[in-house]
Amino acid sequence: MRTSNQNDSDPDQDVVFEVRDLEVTFGTNRGESRVVRNVDFDIYRNETLGMVGESGSGKSMTSSALMNAVVSPGETSGEVTYYPPDGGEPISVLDLDEEELRKFRWGEVAMVFQGAMSSFNPVKKVRGHFRETLEDHNRDVEAGLERAHQILGDLYLDPDRVLDSYPYELSGGMKQRALVALALILEPEVLVMDEPTAALDLLMQRSIVSLLKELKEEYELTIIFITHDLPLLTKLADRLVVMYAFDIVEVGSTEEILYDAAHPYTRSLLNATPDLNAPIEEMQSISGSKPDPVTNIPGCSYRPRCPMADESCAEAEPPMADRGDGHRTACFYHDDVSDEIPIPAMEAAEKGGESE
Amino acid sequence: MTPKYLLKRLGQAILTFFVTMTVSFLLYQAMPGGPTEAMRSVILSQSGGSVDIDRLNRMIQLYTNVNPDQPMHVQYFNYASDVILRQDLGTSFFKNEEVTTLIMQRIPWSMFISVYALALGYSLSIFLGVMTAYREKSRFDSTVSSLIIGLNSIPYYIVGVVLIYFLAIQNNYFPTGGRIGSGIAAGYNPEFMLSLVQHAALPAISMGALATSGALAMRGNAIRVLGEDYIRVAQLRGLRETRIATQYLGHNSILPMYTQFMIGIAGVFSSAVIVEEVFAYPGMGLLMFEAVKTQDYPLLMGTLLVFTAISLTAIFIADLTYTLIDPRISVGE
Repeated sequence: MRTSNQNDSDPDQDVVFEVRDLEVTFGTNRGESRVVRNVDFDIYRNETLGMVGESGSGKSMTSSALMNAVVSPGETSGEVTYYPPDGGEPISVLDLDEEELRKFRWGEVAMVFQGAMSSFNPVKKVRGHFRETLEDHNRDVEAGLERAHQILGDLYLDPDRVLDSYPYELSGGMKQRALVALALILEPEVLVMDEPTAALDLLMQRSIVSLLKELKEEYELTIIFITHDLPLLTKLADRLVVMYAFDIVEVGSTEEILYDAAHPYTRSLLNATPDLNAPIEEMQSISGSKPDPVTNIPGCSYRPRCPMADESCAEAEPPMADRGDGHRTACFYHDDVSDEIPIPAMEAAEKGGESE
Repeated sequence: MTPKYLLKRLGQAILTFFVTMTVSFLLYQAMPGGPTEAMRSVILSQSGGSVDIDRLNRMIQLYTNVNPDQPMHVQYFNYASDVILRQDLGTSFFKNEEVTTLIMQRIPWSMFISVYALALGYSLSIFLGVMTAYREKSRFDSTVSSLIIGLNSIPYYIVGVVLIYFLAIQNNYFPTGGRIGSGIAAGYNPEFMLSLVQHAALPAISMGALATSGALAMRGNAIRVLGEDYIRVAQLRGLRETRIATQYLGHNSILPMYTQFMIGIAGVFSSAVIVEEVFAYPGMGLLMFEAVKTQDYPLLMGTLLVFTAISLTAIFIADLTYTLIDPRISVGE
């Protein structure tokens, strides 16, 4: 099912993933480390959902939980429900047994992650990776390899050359694209991309991003794109999820977040984004340091770094306030934020746009 | 693989063989009471001192391929050309037979227990290494690791003696020595095969204990490989656990150990000298041991050269086959 207007975050949207009360914890000798706290969100079919936040804010852990793939000894709890296309039975991902989970992974949800350079078995040819994936999911190997040829071609690679190579014979960009092709081989519904461009240069990043747009159309994918590169996301994502301190602080369409961010952290993040057009004195870093996953900050977790914080922020955790059109934010003062924390670059851009 | 690389490695192997041969030849000759002296005294004592010198020298030359009258370099040249050109290692003093014949008779038996020991030791090393890595820090891991450390701290011949005591003398599960039960006809019949395996079992186990030292290194490699991205991606790709354990974890963990395993073949082979003596198993090792006891220099020199050749061949094969298991190693540069 395709949505006519992807920027319209209608609550009646066709949901592919429903995440409720998601918690990921690790036992450490300093105490329990809670790296994902009480996260609720939905992923709509055929959208591109961007996840931003600083390193260690819980982005990767949240996305791993979608495949119940949090590395041991991590404990995942809560509810992750997957809705197959064409109205199949909903699947509770965290309750799958080992064999069901094995089939679910890659078949329904595939993941491309940061270390594409080392995602391939160094002693196996690329063709072997495609073949074994098809075999272990009981697919038709010959038809699957045909498909692999086609996808690799779509990614501007020479299919025969890449398939007959060992991973070490390919460049970083080629490996990255080969991994994307490997992720699409079983025709998954959802593709999770965890900083897929982090290790690539700017040109390669942009070309992968434009490839993703094409792939999304061609293979009717739902893409979850995780990065801390905000400018990149604005070109790609339909909706953005902003994470801070192991929880979601703001959700909304890309436009809403960009021009009407209603959480102090999101606005500071936008101010901290490097932009060649903006003068250097307008760039601001966020003061303070990121929170520790072991300690629990009572009230709002952004309070210690927030310029607007007062006593009420310390007393209770702000609930997600609805600002309409699916734009929700966890701040008591979401109506005042835009006055308190201006974004000079954005205002300048708007003015520039008006005068032209 | 280029022919040039092949020739280079072969040349190195042959050079090593020559160096070994030269050094051991010189050391034997330099020993007080060296081969010719020993031979001379043996013949003199047998004949009661009534042999003329020419005849004595001829006899010595016949046995050792060395004429004691000639200068050292001529002696060496004659010896080397006999070994290389005619594959003639001389004649044993005591057995009164060609050294090559004696070695050829014994070699299959040593091969048998060595291959048996290697297969046992290496498969156990790989299996235990991978299993302990999978269950790192568990009770299974600490038990197996301490057992292997213990086993490797005990010399293999002590393991052999202990095995004989408990399994052959106290319990009679295995024979205490020999290579085949008496009165069993050789051939493809079940009794012969069973007896063959029973006699080889204990020597092979004690030599195999030597080869399990690889398990700890294997464990370390496997723990490192388990942390690699491609293992996690393979799990995310929903591959079968057995495939991940063998083709991903196993294969990549063996890579750094492959050469070590091949060199280990030489180690296991040479341990045959002691093990075969402990188990009275008449193979190459026992032959060498007897040669030492009886000062049978041609035989000693011959067995030493054969051991050298086996080690060099194993290393040569390891070099040539490395590209097959790790495509990243390119040879020819």
